[in-house]
Amino acid sequence: MKRVLLIITTVLICLSVNAQSPKEIWTEANNNYSQANYQAALEGFLKIEKSGYVSSALFYNIGNTYFKMKEVGKSILYYERALKLDPADKDVINNLQLARDFSLDKIEEIPDFILKTWIKEVNYSLSSDAWAYLSIISMALLALLLLMFRYGPTPRARKSSFFGAMAAILMIFFSVYFSWSQKHEYYKKDTAIVMKPVSTVKSSPDNSGNTLFILHEGTKVSLIEEIGQWKRVELTDGRQGWINSLDIEVI
Amino acid sequence: MTINCIKKLLLLSCAMLISLALSAQTSFTVDVPRVVGSDENFRLVFIAEGEPSSFNPPQLKDFDVLAGPSTSTMTSTQIINGKRTDSYQVSYTYILQARSVGTFSIPSASAVIGGKTYHTNPVSVEVVKGDANNSGNSSGATSQKSSGTISSDDIFMKMSVSKGKVVKGESLLATLKLYTKVPIGGFENVKFPTFNGFWSQEVDTPSNIEFTRETVNGKIYNAAVLRRYMLIPQQTGNLVIDPSEMTCLVQVRASSGGSRSMFDDFFDSYQTIKRKITAPSIHVNVSPLPSGAPASFAGGVGEFQLSARLTKDTINANEAVSLEVSVSGSGNLNLVEAPKITFPADFEVYDTKINDNTSKSGRGTSGTKVFEYPLIPRGAGVFELGPVVFSYFDIGAKKYKTLTSEKLTLRVGQAVEGSENSSASLPMGVNKQSVKSIGSDVRYIRSGLSGLVRGNSFFFGSVTFFALIVLIAASYILMDKFLSKRIERNRDIAGVKNRRANKVARARLKNAESLMKQNLYSAFFEELHRAILGYCSDKLNLSLADLSREKIASSLEEKSVSKEHSEELLALIEVCEYARYAPDQDKPEMGQNYQRAIKLISDLEV
Repeated sequence: MKRVLLIITTVLICLSVNAQSPKEIWTEANNNYSQANYQAALEGFLKIEKSGYVSSALFYNIGNTYFKMKEVGKSILYYERALKLDPADKDVINNLQLARDFSLDKIEEIPDFILKTWIKEVNYSLSSDAWAYLSIISMALLALLLLMFRYGPTPRARKSSFFGAMAAILMIFFSVYFSWSQKHEYYKKDTAIVMKPVSTVKSSPDNSGNTLFILHEGTKVSLIEEIGQWKRVELTDGRQGWINSLDIEVI
Repeated sequence: MTINCIKKLLLLSCAMLISLALSAQTSFTVDVPRVVGSDENFRLVFIAEGEPSSFNPPQLKDFDVLAGPSTSTMTSTQIINGKRTDSYQVSYTYILQARSVGTFSIPSASAVIGGKTYHTNPVSVEVVKGDANNSGNSSGATSQKSSGTISSDDIFMKMSVSKGKVVKGESLLATLKLYTKVPIGGFENVKFPTFNGFWSQEVDTPSNIEFTRETVNGKIYNAAVLRRYMLIPQQTGNLVIDPSEMTCLVQVRASSGGSRSMFDDFFDSYQTIKRKITAPSIHVNVSPLPSGAPASFAGGVGEFQLSARLTKDTINANEAVSLEVSVSGSGNLNLVEAPKITFPADFEVYDTKINDNTSKSGRGTSGTKVFEYPLIPRGAGVFELGPVVFSYFDIGAKKYKTLTSEKLTLRVGQAVEGSENSSASLPMGVNKQSVKSIGSDVRYIRSGLSGLVRGNSFFFGSVTFFALIVLIAASYILMDKFLSKRIERNRDIAGVKNRRANKVARARLKNAESLMKQNLYSAFFEELHRAILGYCSDKLNLSLADLSREKIASSLEEKSVSKEHSEELLALIEVCEYARYAPDQDKPEMGQNYQRAIKLISDLEV
């Protein structure tokens, strides 16, 4: 018994000595950033990321630090990662827009169907968590309204609670869908950012293929399939080709 | 020697002297016809520019010296733009005759001019078997054709090529020569050939036509090169070089009838006749290059070397650098195309600049051709350029050869800050206007809550999420159960009360009956009042505290009790109250009210 206790305490001591708490690293890195000491700040943030922590704020800060270090491609990557966690974040959207302005490639996007754009807009106006909370609240509301509907004292109260319940059901449906879809997007890993200053997109998954076009650092591509070291990618304007996996990084 | 001849010689020497005088430098040269007839007298002249202090003639063992050396001197003074040039010339003239047919050399002579010894170059003289009639213009007036007529042998033009069979791209030399035995006054209507199927260029054409003696079919002609062309066949097959034409103004001695006075010899009257001569067309057989040309074949035929270099090894992005590929050697160098080089994708490559440093000669072009590829790398990195591959057809070896340069490495650093100009010069399609927003910056980092979580940070689908759903569902079910039970119970209490109302009321009435028998007036009415109110409370599901006459009346109305019954009930309650709270007045009958209550309850229960 005594020995076990001893082991436990030594382990705990080791851990506390070895690892600064992520909170401390976070504060230190933020201080470094504010003093324009970007390299040190970046190391701190990346250390937190390496230890398995994620958050929209962390990715946002990493993106900012990379941007300050003029590594546009990487900053775009991290902004995109932050956006995946919280698509409603206005700061991230703003900074991503700015970083994209510094990337070379200008690709015409094929416009989506207008309804799809609206739904997307509504979807990304709140984060997945917010939608999830909203769905919980709506469920509670629905329960209350159902009770009201069943045991309402007057017919009028029962009638209005019925419509309320309908609305609540719709609300639940959408919030659950949005929350799920955002989470699904996050785990899908089907988009990537070009990391090399210049990388060629070939017509076939080998070096001898014809060069179809050139992509520059920071361009976003969707991944379609993979053969060996090569990935088939699609640009937002619909063009496709094969790119070396080393040239891109999955968001 | 005829006068004619002497006159000519004088003319010749005068011309020579003048031309020599122009180059007022000390020299010692020899002048002799290259071809002479075996029985011809010819002149050998040693010309010294400057005043020789001694002259050492050569041994002329193969020739008979008919006369000489005779010395003549000439001085000339030129004033050009006030600049005075004096020349002094001494010539030693021999008149020789060959002893036999063959090629003989005249060894060098030496002279000391101004304290320095000069030597002439040894010259060779070809002696052909010449009969006096045909041996050219120097053989005397008797050799002249009868005046006014000239045969086609006397004057003709000939186009000759250095090679009759070539491969495509191999250079050859075409020479247009004029051969004449008669003196020529000039040319008219000269039509030089067009070389269809060839790339042609005139090479080292003499500025003035110089005649030299040559033998054609054993006959001596004065020959002059009119034009010399370098040709590079661009087509294959049997290519024809068009005939060239011109009209010569030939001077022939005018005929003065049959008899010739001796004055005729002195006062030769020459007449000029026009004669059109044509050089016949010739054929050049051009065979195609053998098949199997390498992909990097750039049309070069000949012998070449290749080298490549970068003007700078290390540069920054958006800065210019040049790749210089130089091809040197001989062949159709001027037609060699720039080797195709694949540059890294992000390089901007501008038009190749060609620096031609070649000279043209009979063997084609030789020298160095430098291809300069101006480049601007747009991205940073270490790039491998090349290797530059250049293939050509080796004429000597009759096969294709491929030259490969070594690989070149170009280190490109990051673009230098502030080089707006270079980024502004990005080509269309890559450049984006929005780079202008350089003054703006990213929004500041999140310094407050980090919101750090390990791994899956999504609330949706988490345990808490489902737990909350279950909680809501469970609480709903519980609430539902609770409410439904309460309603059930509520409904039950009323029913029981209703059902019990009659019983309770009758029990109370029984109690009141016993009180009536004991004649306890106020107690009886109290009991009666309580019985009626209790009945109402139970029946109408109202609490006792709530019971007022108005409430009872409205509840009864709701229960659709007939008006007379409710009035009766209210009247009874009034009576009871009156009896209870105002006992001193005339008292209502106990028995009668008792009967009324029993009757009312019985009626209401029905």
